[in-house]
Amino acid sequence: MSVAGNGSGPAIEYRGVFKAFDEPVLSGVTLSVERGEMFALFGPSGTGKSVLLKTTIALVTPDRGDVMVGGESVYFGGRDVLERIRRKVGFVFQYAALFDSLTVFENIEIGIPEENLKRMGANAVAQRVWESLELVNLDPKQVLGKLPSELSGGMKKRVGIARAISGRPEILLWDEPTTGLDPVNTAAIERLITQLSEDLHVTSLLVTHDIEGGLDMCDRVAMLEGGSLRFCGSPDDFRASDDAVVKAFIDRKAAIAALDTLEIR
Amino acid sequence: MSRQSSSVWAPSRFAGRFFVSVERWSRFIAEHAGQIGLLIWNMLAACARLRVPRRDILRQLHIIGIQSVPIVVVAAALIGVVTSQQGGYQMQSQIPLYIMGSVVVESVVLEMGPVLTAIVMIGRVGARITAELGTMKVSEQIDALQSVGRDPVEILAAPRVLAMIISMPLLVSMANLVGITTGMISAQYTLGLGQETFFYGARLFWHSYDIVYSLLKALVFGAAIPIIAIHMGLRTSGGAEGVGRATTHAVVFMTLTILVIDALFPPLFLN
Repeated sequence: MSVAGNGSGPAIEYRGVFKAFDEPVLSGVTLSVERGEMFALFGPSGTGKSVLLKTTIALVTPDRGDVMVGGESVYFGGRDVLERIRRKVGFVFQYAALFDSLTVFENIEIGIPEENLKRMGANAVAQRVWESLELVNLDPKQVLGKLPSELSGGMKKRVGIARAISGRPEILLWDEPTTGLDPVNTAAIERLITQLSEDLHVTSLLVTHDIEGGLDMCDRVAMLEGGSLRFCGSPDDFRASDDAVVKAFIDRKAAIAALDTLEIR
Repeated sequence: MSRQSSSVWAPSRFAGRFFVSVERWSRFIAEHAGQIGLLIWNMLAACARLRVPRRDILRQLHIIGIQSVPIVVVAAALIGVVTSQQGGYQMQSQIPLYIMGSVVVESVVLEMGPVLTAIVMIGRVGARITAELGTMKVSEQIDALQSVGRDPVEILAAPRVLAMIISMPLLVSMANLVGITTGMISAQYTLGLGQETFFYGARLFWHSYDIVYSLLKALVFGAAIPIIAIHMGLRTSGGAEGVGRATTHAVVFMTLTILVIDALFPPLFLN
């Protein structure tokens, strides 16, 4: 199994991450994701899951705290360390975030680190783009020359995933990859997440509202609530939890009851 | 008692509000100045490290420079006609008509050519840059670029600023030439001022330095417009409404900046 970094510690380690915009969003989150594991992060909307995910590669800078990736500090390691960390992390955005003016080929090609592009040569790059599209179950011949505006929502998500894996990362960060998809496409993307994590031997950190999918796919899960960690453990422990907020996330009836009893809006 | 206490507290309440307002504006200005300073520093660093893609500079030169030629030519042609007509109307039978040559040439070269070309470029290029980068920001495309280890300053900002700095002096030169030509033709047809008389008047007050002054203005405007547009675009938040708001603010910010720079030019460079 491939690992992130050369050391032996966790693949990702959040150390007291604090972030406020107008109000505090993350209030000192400390969390570890082990090498090779699939980890799901649940929580109500606006509780800072995506913000926490983005602090992993400094897309959002925390006000306090640090993030370690493969044993290296994202915020105190300097520019070179950050560039190295970004090279070994693939990020799948909620709405794919494809570049409108670039073709599918160019969108995926840009996911390959610059120094690899120079070393690989044109044929190897084309081969890598082709393989990445096949890994996400898209027919390269059909989509390579298309612009993002010519693709369906599900296809855009797959191209976004292909871009994230084209650099052959050691860690994949998934920001609500099934948002806005129908149940069939949701199941297909979830199968893809599991398949890619196994085929590419990556550490996966998944932010999702799809509780059942996350519990089925992942080795461990955590729940953020009000900017703090409410739960961290195995999917079985999550299902068996007595915590009313955790229960509200699993059971629809408990969720409706929680609207009256808990401070959930 | 209550009246006395309210009279004592009224000035302090006013002073409190005043200082809060000053603090808010100071922070606002310092934030913008700091971010713009950092943007300029990062662009200079990208240029010094030769990290700006040449293909993107050429693409932006086409979009910013070549595609702006028609609107700049039309605006400049009308500037020349209007300057000539207005001057003719105001000076008729007051001073010798050959002075019109100087009025048109000096007005176009020193002021109208650079400033109105800048205003046209704010609408055509500045607003476009803010809207484009703002949309990329709110749709996470900027984040996506950073996530794959690419620097948005190198790929998006620097090519646009370099293209604008190269394009503006050329566009202003073109605007000056077109404005003077249409001003001369207009003076010929409406005031009966012949070409030789027009150029005789123009030469009377002409200094070679005037063209340096005009191109220096073009260069500074050419740097200011895209830097503000990019800064505002990269600050955008709040979806489609945020993009609209950022674009409007950017146009106001760019226009005011151009007018302030224009006002600073004579005391700095003409005395």
